[in-house]
Amino acid sequence: MIEIERIDVFYGEFHVLKNVSLNVAEKDLTILTGPNGHGKSTLLKAICGLQPVCSGRIRFAGKDITRLSPERRVEKGIVYIAENRHLFPQMSVLKNLKLGAYNKNARRDEAANLAAVFELFPRLKERKKQPASTLSGGEARMLAFARGLMSNARFLAIDEPSLGLAPNLRMNVFNAIREVHKRELTILLVEQNIPKIAELADRIHLLEEGEMTFSGDRETALAQDTIKQAFLGM
Amino acid sequence: MYELIDVIISGVTNGSVYAMMAVGLSLVYGVTKVFNFAYGSLYTLGGYLAFTFFGCGFGYPLVILLTLVSLYLAGLLIERVIIRPLRRREDWEMLAMMVTLGLAIFLDNLYQVVYGPYVKSLPIMFSGNLQLAGFMLSIQDLVIFGIAVLVMGGFMIFLNTHRLGMAIEAVAQDMTGAQIVGIPKDRVFGFTFAISTVLAGFGGILLAPKYFITPFGGWDILVKAWVITALGGMGSVRGSLYAAFLLGIIEALIGWQFGLTWILFAWFAVLLGTLIVRPQGLFGTWG
Repeated sequence: MIEIERIDVFYGEFHVLKNVSLNVAEKDLTILTGPNGHGKSTLLKAICGLQPVCSGRIRFAGKDITRLSPERRVEKGIVYIAENRHLFPQMSVLKNLKLGAYNKNARRDEAANLAAVFELFPRLKERKKQPASTLSGGEARMLAFARGLMSNARFLAIDEPSLGLAPNLRMNVFNAIREVHKRELTILLVEQNIPKIAELADRIHLLEEGEMTFSGDRETALAQDTIKQAFLGM
Repeated sequence: MYELIDVIISGVTNGSVYAMMAVGLSLVYGVTKVFNFAYGSLYTLGGYLAFTFFGCGFGYPLVILLTLVSLYLAGLLIERVIIRPLRRREDWEMLAMMVTLGLAIFLDNLYQVVYGPYVKSLPIMFSGNLQLAGFMLSIQDLVIFGIAVLVMGGFMIFLNTHRLGMAIEAVAQDMTGAQIVGIPKDRVFGFTFAISTVLAGFGGILLAPKYFITPFGGWDILVKAWVITALGGMGSVRGSLYAAFLLGIIEALIGWQFGLTWILFAWFAVLLGTLIVRPQGLFGTWG
């Protein structure tokens, strides 16, 4: 569904992604792991159009999207759930969710998506009138996730959804990802050091110092020492 | 006593127009984080455009309509041609501010070339007074006040309920968040700049019958609009509203008791006093 072909990304002089290629098959849950600051988030941003690429190509559902604006990508169903959330702090939870359905393809399904999201996160329903800035860290993360689900995504790029969460909230997030994956969404998940989520993965990729150093299915990946170290902390 | 109340009414009238203009300045700052130095010159543009359309022999309703449409298009054009190309660069906010300063100087001198250095004025909108409970209210003031309040009220409703209004708020609160949900940033920037140009220029039309139009008259308005937004809290539309009425009344009282020279002195005293206690302004937030 997503085909990334030898992309290079720079922050100023700094070469962040070096000749990176990655394929995500339709309906797969793919995990991208690797140490902090080695380019995982940058790769997700490049897919969603928030970070321009210098060379290489990105294709989505067979079409070249390398130069497409972020809003056009959202319309196509590419949705990014950022690690640092980027909520609208002074708006209510409900308004945040409604803005999640801003793109014209999601508009007509707004009511149905809202009901589904509230079912998945009853906590957000309780707090729907509260400004987003008053939510706890875990709730804010749920809201970011829920807002992404409002966009009628076909492909979700999720950046470290469990970072800094208490263990029980972490399980909540994983259950939500499992639930969403069951609905046949394609997911690219950036995670590190979380053995639990590995059970769900179809494929696992390792990104180190801006280079893709390993790509393989779950069984091969989990047999690799580097992955064990990077991902399972063993 | 009656005189005092007359003064306050006049302050509230000016305050309403200031509020409308400050909302426009604050809006652009909140959304793009660019302070628009050309704002005063766009105020003047409204006055001169209206003056030109009057010259064609039109009446007030048509003049206002034509002026507002021209202002909207001018705003879109300015954003498109001189601000958007800068946005590809890392430090574009600072560059954009410098460019708006250049635009202000260019426009003011252009007015001087086209319209000459002497003051122009617009015809009186409505003459006559209204007798109400012993007070004499100028009908023109009432109409100006009514229009400014309607425009602001309509704009607030638009911001809170319309999709595009919500998109503007979203960009102001978190630009990346807005892009993540698929809000077209360029379109929101262009629209915001155009609407703010309309609000500035409309202020120019409404105040022209009282204060005249001069090529460099916009600077006074820019300073005033800036004091209002700083007092209210940069980027806070609600803060600008309260600050504008407060400063409008202070202006009228000071002008009445001590003379016009002391108005900006008083404004800055109020601003500095407030910023010492609340550095973020009345309704501003940090960051």
